[in-house]
Amino acid sequence: MAILRRAAVVTALVAAGALAVTGCAQSSGTPAATSGASTAPTASAELPAPFDGDPVTVALVRQSGAGDYFEAWGAGAEAQASFANIDLQVTDARNDNAKHASDLEQAIAAKPDAIIVDHGQTDTIQPLVTKAVEAGIPVVIYDLALTDSEGVIVTAQSDKSMAEGVLEQLIADVGEGAKVGYVSATGFAPLDRRAEVWDQVVADNGLDVVFSTGEVSDSTASDNVPLVDAALKQNPDVEAIFAPYDEITKGTVLAVQQNNLQDKVKVYGIDISNADLEVMNAEGSPWVATSATDPAAVGAAVVRTLALSLAGELDETEVLFPAITITQEFLAENEVTNVTELRAAEPSLELSDVVVADWLPAVSG
Amino acid sequence: MSARNRISASKTSERVAAVVVKWGFVAVTVALILFFVITEPSFRTPENFFGMLKFIAPTAIAGLGVMLAMTVGGIDLSVGASAGFAVSIAAWTMVIGNQVGGVAVSVVLVCGLLIGALNAFLIVVARIPDLLATLTTMFVIVGLKLIIVDGKSISSQMTLSNGTTAPGRFTADFLWLDRGSIGPVPVPVIILVVITVLLWFLLERTRWGRALFAVGANPEAARLAGIRVQWYRTIAYMGCGLLASVAGLLLAARIGQGDVSAGNSLLLDAVAVALVGVSVLGIGRPNAWGTALGAVLIAVMVTGFTMLGLPYYAQDFGKGIVLLIALLFSFTFSRRRTVVTAGSTTSAS
Repeated sequence: MAILRRAAVVTALVAAGALAVTGCAQSSGTPAATSGASTAPTASAELPAPFDGDPVTVALVRQSGAGDYFEAWGAGAEAQASFANIDLQVTDARNDNAKHASDLEQAIAAKPDAIIVDHGQTDTIQPLVTKAVEAGIPVVIYDLALTDSEGVIVTAQSDKSMAEGVLEQLIADVGEGAKVGYVSATGFAPLDRRAEVWDQVVADNGLDVVFSTGEVSDSTASDNVPLVDAALKQNPDVEAIFAPYDEITKGTVLAVQQNNLQDKVKVYGIDISNADLEVMNAEGSPWVATSATDPAAVGAAVVRTLALSLAGELDETEVLFPAITITQEFLAENEVTNVTELRAAEPSLELSDVVVADWLPAVSG
Repeated sequence: MSARNRISASKTSERVAAVVVKWGFVAVTVALILFFVITEPSFRTPENFFGMLKFIAPTAIAGLGVMLAMTVGGIDLSVGASAGFAVSIAAWTMVIGNQVGGVAVSVVLVCGLLIGALNAFLIVVARIPDLLATLTTMFVIVGLKLIIVDGKSISSQMTLSNGTTAPGRFTADFLWLDRGSIGPVPVPVIILVVITVLLWFLLERTRWGRALFAVGANPEAARLAGIRVQWYRTIAYMGCGLLASVAGLLLAARIGQGDVSAGNSLLLDAVAVALVGVSVLGIGRPNAWGTALGAVLIAVMVTGFTMLGLPYYAQDFGKGIVLLIALLFSFTFSRRRTVVTAGSTTSAS
């Protein structure tokens, strides 16, 4: 039994190690899972078929459910599901793509009334989505790039609306023909979609792009500092910088401050988190505007999309959730310092007019 | 109470304990399966049955590897890393090297053997304790993998550093390893059954297997009995490396790209399954069928819990309980019996 005893010690050690690692990864800030300020919405009509009988079983197959954003997303989805008499069976692959594939495969084998796939790798998920569609199971995907989305309802955050809103603010602030910089990377679907909007806005407003740089890495924020720093040293007369991803935005803000240009250069970002709000609210921060969605509201909206589709009330096969532009001034006026306060100050984040019906109001908390 | 009575009473309780130890785990598994079959209509479909076995196959195969290392009294902490290495190497060979699936499989299996040989070298020749040696190997091959693939997940159509598009892709015959099936039986399940039967035969029915267990029980006695101890330990670790790379092949075919994070979650489950396997049939030593059964129990539990609507985080708790029960069977309940039967194992304390 010496073998066993030693093996048991090993398992304990390994488990302790794994715990230590996950312990370190604990996310900062409070999870933005509840929208306490809102009053509970009520339906003004009875639930239609198939929601008027036994609970409708829906498998929610997630690539990851960890972290502020994903926890809030899941909480929103579950809140909306229980409102609509949906029994949501959630699996979380914890970023293990093999598990994600197995989860989806087993969800298909269990023949639920519908499947929602949240994120995932194209090569891993595509064949299984095709299999689900062939098995006659309705499929809704969120933020997942498929090569063949025949018969699938596609949902995503609207990168277009995110970029457009922020860039509108940029033009309003610095005007046409201004000297601007661009910090982003290529090869990432959301960044590529934001880049399209940027190119269009540059062309439409005759902006003078004096530099384009940026990268995405394991430590995106700090790795972009030297790149933007060099660009600023060469072009200190730049008026505004578009950095359409919050990690890149943070690096850009640091570089601007390093060069003591925060009074002359305005930075425009995309995305929101408690940490981002702290940077925007800091004394003399050059980050003047960003784009935000409420993950809980988005999770709920994905479930609504599915519910409308099952009830036969959804006409489109692609649903994009719009974003709200948040300015530094707005944050200061409303004394917003975290995401929960932001949700209270900007109720339109709740997406209460997106994919709703009289029997299906937005419920995300 | 007379001494005679006391002895007969303890004999009866021993007999009961022996039955519980031998069949308790199987009974729990069967009861759990029956419970889910009755309560969950979608559990009792053949698709779900094979789906569960397919889902657990990589874990079970890696667990069989750990089991093999345990037969010689060792442990292998590098199985997860070896499987992850296999995923990236398979992707690299096909997507960047533009080779067919068969070549990728061969390259991966050779890499698995080499990793096992490295472990064996560190343990047998360099005499580093197995725990530390395989931990080191784990770090080395995770790092080596990231260096080989530039820290990136390799997928077809990816842009290479010179700006061109990768020439190859995951071939259909390779993907068949996980996504294919023969009749209603998925290929990974067939691979798992074949490996389990092979290992059972080798360990329980050949002189070779007895030698492995002898080495694990008491290397010194084995040496005096004329067994080439170092040779058998080397074989066990190389076998473990090979099995870990087979698990990696299945993962690669399942994911369909060279996911750099693949295999990370495999180690704990594989070690747990091998440990559960020791106690499953009351055999009290590492064995192939026990390991496979332990894996099946975990698959049943994870699937059933999900269908019951229990949150995914309840699964780890469930796995922990299973492992705890298994260890109780191995150490606590079977102590008396183990002392009796472990006449040959001088290291029973």
